[in-house]
Amino acid sequence: MWLSLNILSKMVDVRGLSPEEIALRLTMSSAEIEGIEYMNYHLKSVITAKITKKLPHPNADKLTLCDLDAGGETYRVVCGAPNHREGDIVALATVGTKFGDEFVIKKTKIRGEESSGMLCSEKELGLSDDHSGIMILPPSTKTGVPLSELYPDYVDVRFEIDNKSITHRPDLWSHTGFAREIAAIFGREFTSVVNYSLEKEFTNTEPFNVRIDNPKAAPRYCGLAMKNITIAESPAWLKAAVTSIGMRPINNIVDITNYVMSEIGEPMHAFDRRKLRGNEIIVRMASNSESLTTLDGQDHTLIAEDIVIADGGGAIALAGVMGGGNSEIEPDTTDIILEAANFNPVNIRKTSGRYALRTEAAIRFEKALDPGLCKAAIIRCYDLIRQVVPGSEAASVIIDAYPDAFQSKTVATSTSFIRAKLGQQIDDGRIIEILTALDFNVKNDNGALTIGIPDYRATKDVSIPDDIVEEVGRIFGYDNITPQSPFVPCAPPSINAKRQFERLTKDILARNHNYTEVSNYSFVGEALLSKIGLNEGLELKLRNPLSTEQDRLRRSLIPNLIENIELNQRYNESFRIFEMGRVYFKNRQEPAALARETTRVTGVLFRKKTDTPLFYDAKTTVIDLFQQLKIKTMRLTPEQNDLPPYAHPARAMRVYAGKANTGLIFDLHPKIREAFEIKGQAAIFDLDLDILFSAEKEITRFVELQKFPEVPFEISVLADRFTYSSEIRDIITASDKERVRNVDVVSIYEGEPIPKGMKSVSIRIVFCDREKTLAPQDIESLQKKVIGDLAAKGFNLR
Amino acid sequence: MEQKLDEIQSKAASQIAAARSIEELENIRVKVLGRKGDLTGILRTLGELSPEERSRIGQKSNAIKDDIESRIEKRKSELLESKINSLLQEEWIDVTLPHADSRKQFVRGHLHPLSQIQYEIEDIFTSMGFEVLDGPEVETDYYNFEALNIPQHHPARDMQDTFWTEDGNLLRTHTSAIQIRGMERLTPPFRVIGPGRVFRYEATDASHENTFYQVEGMMVDKNISVAHLIYFMKVLLKEIFRRDVKIRLRPGYFPFVEPGFELDINCLICGGSGCSVCKNSGWVELLPCGLVHPNVLRYGGINPDEWSGFAFGLGMNRLIMMRYGINDIRHFLSGDIRFLYQF
Ligand SMILES: [Zn+2]
Repeated sequence: MWLSLNILSKMVDVRGLSPEEIALRLTMSSAEIEGIEYMNYHLKSVITAKITKKLPHPNADKLTLCDLDAGGETYRVVCGAPNHREGDIVALATVGTKFGDEFVIKKTKIRGEESSGMLCSEKELGLSDDHSGIMILPPSTKTGVPLSELYPDYVDVRFEIDNKSITHRPDLWSHTGFAREIAAIFGREFTSVVNYSLEKEFTNTEPFNVRIDNPKAAPRYCGLAMKNITIAESPAWLKAAVTSIGMRPINNIVDITNYVMSEIGEPMHAFDRRKLRGNEIIVRMASNSESLTTLDGQDHTLIAEDIVIADGGGAIALAGVMGGGNSEIEPDTTDIILEAANFNPVNIRKTSGRYALRTEAAIRFEKALDPGLCKAAIIRCYDLIRQVVPGSEAASVIIDAYPDAFQSKTVATSTSFIRAKLGQQIDDGRIIEILTALDFNVKNDNGALTIGIPDYRATKDVSIPDDIVEEVGRIFGYDNITPQSPFVPCAPPSINAKRQFERLTKDILARNHNYTEVSNYSFVGEALLSKIGLNEGLELKLRNPLSTEQDRLRRSLIPNLIENIELNQRYNESFRIFEMGRVYFKNRQEPAALARETTRVTGVLFRKKTDTPLFYDAKTTVIDLFQQLKIKTMRLTPEQNDLPPYAHPARAMRVYAGKANTGLIFDLHPKIREAFEIKGQAAIFDLDLDILFSAEKEITRFVELQKFPEVPFEISVLADRFTYSSEIRDIITASDKERVRNVDVVSIYEGEPIPKGMKSVSIRIVFCDREKTLAPQDIESLQKKVIGDLAAKGFNLR
Repeated sequence: MEQKLDEIQSKAASQIAAARSIEELENIRVKVLGRKGDLTGILRTLGELSPEERSRIGQKSNAIKDDIESRIEKRKSELLESKINSLLQEEWIDVTLPHADSRKQFVRGHLHPLSQIQYEIEDIFTSMGFEVLDGPEVETDYYNFEALNIPQHHPARDMQDTFWTEDGNLLRTHTSAIQIRGMERLTPPFRVIGPGRVFRYEATDASHENTFYQVEGMMVDKNISVAHLIYFMKVLLKEIFRRDVKIRLRPGYFPFVEPGFELDINCLICGGSGCSVCKNSGWVELLPCGLVHPNVLRYGGINPDEWSGFAFGLGMNRLIMMRYGINDIRHFLSGDIRFLYQF
């Protein structure tokens, strides 16, 4: 929203206050001022001047040289306009005049002739759209006068308000509201622009009726008939004001209703009286599928929640949102009815949302406006029309339908409550002074306050003692409050074990295994999923996605991580990354329950070189992670069948914590590498952190140090090349659970003299007894048992 | 015999002096002083001599033995020294090389800057008695809006553009959703923070993201005031930035607090003179905060006549951007490790 300093200064004396100071204090006490704009400040250095001599330019046919006199000062400028003559009074932009941010008038040479200034068109000056030639002023105009003095209304400062910061303040959607704030902040007087005594002038010559069907939906409706209207362009001051507040001038009546809305905060509407069918205005709920064409030419089919303004023939306006085309003011309109009404904010908000009509009127009505504004707005509107349209007059009294008048409200609190909430010593006198300046009616009984709330603050904004705390605090200045530590018992807070577990996991990956943490969007899209082969449509979708790439919630961290590989391989030979984040599973319960969210930790290793498989590095990470997280039992089994489409079936293992399936370790499937043009190898582990968190943990206990010597035993076993070495290891481990202390695969060999399709697995076994030193015969029997058990399963020594 | 002893001594002395290694010296020692050594051989024949001679020869050969031993030790330390000296030469390396194997560059792991700041904030607040809470990212309308005093059709809903899910829920627009869940679970007095990911339905640009991180904070106790709130905010920012940061508190409207504030910090990128991050104002809106609205306490099952509290919602992305001078919020979720390696 825009605020014009010119309009504000009609209500509060701002002399001596800079726009910057006003903006800062409003930001600190009332609402955020997002910007200050100086309107037409160039008019201050554009002066009236008389062309004393007009000569042809020696070097250019279309240019002329003009000698000018401006109150005794003389100037020569080069001019390209076609319309000026000797003796004309024109607008001269003197050297130094700034148009906008870029264009500054300088002393220059144009085609060899010196020019110290520029003669301007009305468009260049921002006074109209006329660009047919330079501006010619009336011959009686004094010269040497800045245009800012001739067109004072065009020179303005406007403030841009952050609309979000006045969501709760219906009164601040107007100049009146901000003028009151400035008055309270700077201790100045506020003057209303409404002259209520004008109401005495109204006579009921052409009466009409207003009927409100549903006072809950439409508490008040004020109408006034006016006649002898001539629709015309607005006078300069009005056009300038309307432009300042960010609107486009249309015609005198529309501009006045817009101006009054901005001035007072009450949206207004004017109907063409001739088009009204009958003598009654009815404010009622729309009937289902009633149709209405609004001023913007859109056809709407209404529902019973919408409020309409209707006449004998049907709806003529979508109440509080937009007028209807069928009652619109025309260039030849002479009789009008002015409307200022009050509507239920929820109805207006729903209607405006339903038909996507976020009009200035709707934005205000949905904030819960004070019904008291209706009459004020009608009177102010009448006042301005009388000034702007000569001969116009009221044709009725104010027809005021107001079945249930608004009950003024009070709130009871105390100065000690206010001090306690702010945590600041502010004496009673200052508290009452602040509230009184804000138009609150304060009755003080020894610190117990009974506070009458002005109606324009009472519709929604101020209702409880805490609201009064805010009023005092913001004018007192929050920056003036001394920070203070509370007096509270000292005790360590409860531990969030899950959070700590997440943090520990991240630390292990980043600090012990050199993975870098990435964070990806929670969203995925169909194209990406299809590329990976995950297009089952199981994801929880968004109703209002920003794009098709982000139209549903991820069920896995992997798709976005694959894109991370694609991106990072461009700049890196190798990397390790991981993400810890939520995945979301649609809940199929009825009625719809929240999606199930689980936390996953997924790591990716990438290397351009395809020498040793990264799979083992991924596996090392997972094994160490389990150990550091003290997961009591871990099991890894080769997985070939039950795999997602992105996992390499010949390079995959399933990970169990206890009995729970916790995730997978795998290489990226070659077809995904192809699809994403990943040039290198990528290994991935993908684990369910929630399962890891709840898995049974190892409790650390001391174990007596090894006292008796370990006896190594090395063998080479022949096996089919597709045999998992774990199978051989398991046989050996099982051969004597007590005394086979360790089994390691040392190396694997294929090739001569090993038969084709076979491999030789070299294994190092360590025997040890906790109770005694192994005797030669013990060792021999252990070795025989190992060899015998292997042979029983078809594994022979090489 | 004495002559023989002299020969042994002079021969050994010249051999020791000529020895080139410690092994060689050891051989000399064995050959001369060992059980079958020359000197030992002579001592073995002492029995054949007269007592006087025995005593004289015995003394002499002991003196020769001592002499040879000390010569060996001396030579040994000479050899050791020269061996170490030559090792020092041999073991010279070019210490200015960046890596032992420059093809296998070592890159340490990096926590995401959002995690780093989150843990810092968690540590600061837990040290002041705050408990860390969690909440779901897909939330109900009730927890995200309704119970925070933002009923259906309230204009304040426009302030937070919302992603809606097909099942009628939403992606939480703020961590404030954690407030109600916290109040339901805990009994006052309590102090909690809730860090997490939040979502806004808005187009992304250098200063807007549809996904970002906040940390919610809430304290409920007897007689909590605005002065207490300001105290905690100042402590937090001082700890985060390791220096006093200029802040300002101005009115801000959030239906779940009353009074409500916007806390701005002096732009640390331009120092307050105006830049693109602070939209030329010199101030950066960092966190909304305020005293918990009595209605919100009631929704959380807490009697507002007995208890009061403050709440704040700190934008972590903005904080990191301020700390490191990051000018584009989109880096955070870019997945680009060139960005992440910097922190
Ligand atoms: Zn800045």
